[in-house]
Amino acid sequence: MDTTSLILATTFAPFVGFAVAMLFLHRSPRLAQAVVITGAAVALGSAVQLWLEGPVEPLRYLWFTSGAIELHFGFLLDGLNLMFGVVVALITLCVIVYSVGYMAQDPSNTRYFALLAFFEWAMLSFVYAVDLLQSFIFWELVGLASFFLIGFWYQKPSAAEAARKAFLMTRIGDVGLLIGVLVVMMTAGHFDIPGLLDPERGLIARVAPATLTAITLLIFVGIVGKSAQFPLHTWLPDAMEGPTPVSALLHSATMVAAGVFLMARLYPLFLAAETTRCIILVIATVTALLAATMAMVDRDIKKVLAYSSISQLGFMLMALAAGSLFAGVFHLITHAMFKALLFLCSGLFIHHFATNDLEQIGQAGGRRMKLTSIGLLVGGGALAGVPPLSGFFSKEEIFAALGHESGTVFTIAALAAAFLTAYYTFRMIFLIVLPARIEPAANSGGTDHGSAEPWTMVLPVAVLTVGAAVGGLWGHQIAAALNLQAPTHTLGSMLPALGVVVLGIALAWVDFGRGERVGFLSRLPALQTLFSNGWYIDTFYRAVFVRLTNWLASLLHGVEVKGLDGGFDQVGFGILRSADGSRSLQSGWVQFYGGCIVLVVGAIAVYVGMGG
Amino acid sequence: MTLEMYLLLSAVLFCLGLFGALAQRNLIAVLIGVELMMNAASLNFMAFNRFSVTDPSTGQVFVLIIIGLAAAEVAIFLSIILNLYRQRRTIDPESITELRY
Repeated sequence: MDTTSLILATTFAPFVGFAVAMLFLHRSPRLAQAVVITGAAVALGSAVQLWLEGPVEPLRYLWFTSGAIELHFGFLLDGLNLMFGVVVALITLCVIVYSVGYMAQDPSNTRYFALLAFFEWAMLSFVYAVDLLQSFIFWELVGLASFFLIGFWYQKPSAAEAARKAFLMTRIGDVGLLIGVLVVMMTAGHFDIPGLLDPERGLIARVAPATLTAITLLIFVGIVGKSAQFPLHTWLPDAMEGPTPVSALLHSATMVAAGVFLMARLYPLFLAAETTRCIILVIATVTALLAATMAMVDRDIKKVLAYSSISQLGFMLMALAAGSLFAGVFHLITHAMFKALLFLCSGLFIHHFATNDLEQIGQAGGRRMKLTSIGLLVGGGALAGVPPLSGFFSKEEIFAALGHESGTVFTIAALAAAFLTAYYTFRMIFLIVLPARIEPAANSGGTDHGSAEPWTMVLPVAVLTVGAAVGGLWGHQIAAALNLQAPTHTLGSMLPALGVVVLGIALAWVDFGRGERVGFLSRLPALQTLFSNGWYIDTFYRAVFVRLTNWLASLLHGVEVKGLDGGFDQVGFGILRSADGSRSLQSGWVQFYGGCIVLVVGAIAVYVGMGG
Repeated sequence: MTLEMYLLLSAVLFCLGLFGALAQRNLIAVLIGVELMMNAASLNFMAFNRFSVTDPSTGQVFVLIIIGLAAAEVAIFLSIILNLYRQRRTIDPESITELRY
């Protein structure tokens, strides 16, 4: 097949799956699953084939012309897009297959699978987009899919509220992004991404540094919203109200990574804007540290993973801001693997024990689910950065990049965040695998709970376990795809990274591997409270922005109801009252009318007589 | 006889008619009042015709039309009064005030 049909198959197969399932298969969920899985498999197959064929010239199709502006739809097929497309398609397929088991009991099965296919279509179209406006459109559609899927159990008020919150908070960022895109259009006159990035004729050569800074900052606002960076990060933990496979797909591996991907996509612009990169570096560092502290104390396994996603996204942005495209993209891809794996494992636990609580899962016998526990160990190890799992290599690249390009402050902050990552990851693992006491298995007959899980749930976990384990070896391929030289590192440069990981795991073991299973933070109640309340950021938002908005809304409501409505009411009532008064003139007494006529005609006669 | 005399007579006639039309408690008296006012108008026409226009037919045409009109009006008015009396047993204009708000 040629490139055009391959790329069309990649992006439209999920859409066909979505449309067919949504329109025709409401009553036959099994068939809908089959259709959606086929669509995702076709997408993965063609994405892999495209990747194997290597980068080619972008494909552009004219959408419409407006004055001097030409809008194209098309596909950009360079190393970065092709690689991320494969990752997205692979994880989506894994998650969809996994969902067959996870959502087996749900009555709205078809809607769920159709929405997943819808998401895949939007995400792949975003990844391959050649036009910045096209990117933006699919960026929004991805956000819409996120809204639908977080609120999938919309009967639950908390889920509906979480969906609204996610939608609104990402919207704040998207406004910034939209303005940024429009500024790009105003300065460059087109949206074509390769054209914008061109060093001679692109944006960098054409606009003043200040404008470039403004553009990149506006785009970064969008990234902050989508990738849940401080201060817009609070939607992501709430987004865990959605089904766990959704959290694995959207809210850790792919959708939230779209922000990081966009920055990587437009990397030359960011590279040229020094000020923007400084701001990004600071925000990403704050995010990485802040989210890590929150993950240290939460007892909800999905919340811990959500905070860790925020923190890891911060890591990626730190790497990009520090000037290393390779480190950022590398971590993006390894993180997608191991975080999806961790979420799918947590989904297995939640599915089996019907609880999100770490300690309860551990005490109910989480470690009896052998395969899941292995997945948890591999994924957690990769997240913490244990060699030779994938996360170790990508994180090490980030430290190296920070060490080369930025000040020591940021390197130390990154190491501290990595230490916290190792600590909270192994806190989670120890609480599940090494609980203080394990209740005996509920049914004496069942020996291995892991094998009781349907194969549709186990298979994706196995695939992702392999991916998370060996992903670190792909560094050279990724660097080659980005046309970069993969940096080589000596043992000496790896030592600090290794050191903080070992320290973190050791501390986690001291706290949670033995004895009372309480963290050292419980001896610092003030910090414990601060962390478990998310640094009171959400409380602050509720107290300030939400209340302010509500106050403003009620003020405007008052203005409308009392002022506008009341004003019009008064006009109406006034007319009514004057009519009430004047209608007594209509007495029905003919002679009275006659008298009135005489008076009026007499008055007119007198007036005319005087005037004439 | 001057024009003023005719106009004065006509004005007196009109005022009498007006009083009758507005103040009488009997619809037939009201009808008579209306007829009086019309005759006052006719008188006016004839007087002006006599003193200021040479061609006598101008005023006479109007007056003939008014007389015809008055005859038709009387017919309608009387038939209304007749029906009214059959239904209501009264022809007092002050007690027939249903056509109002």
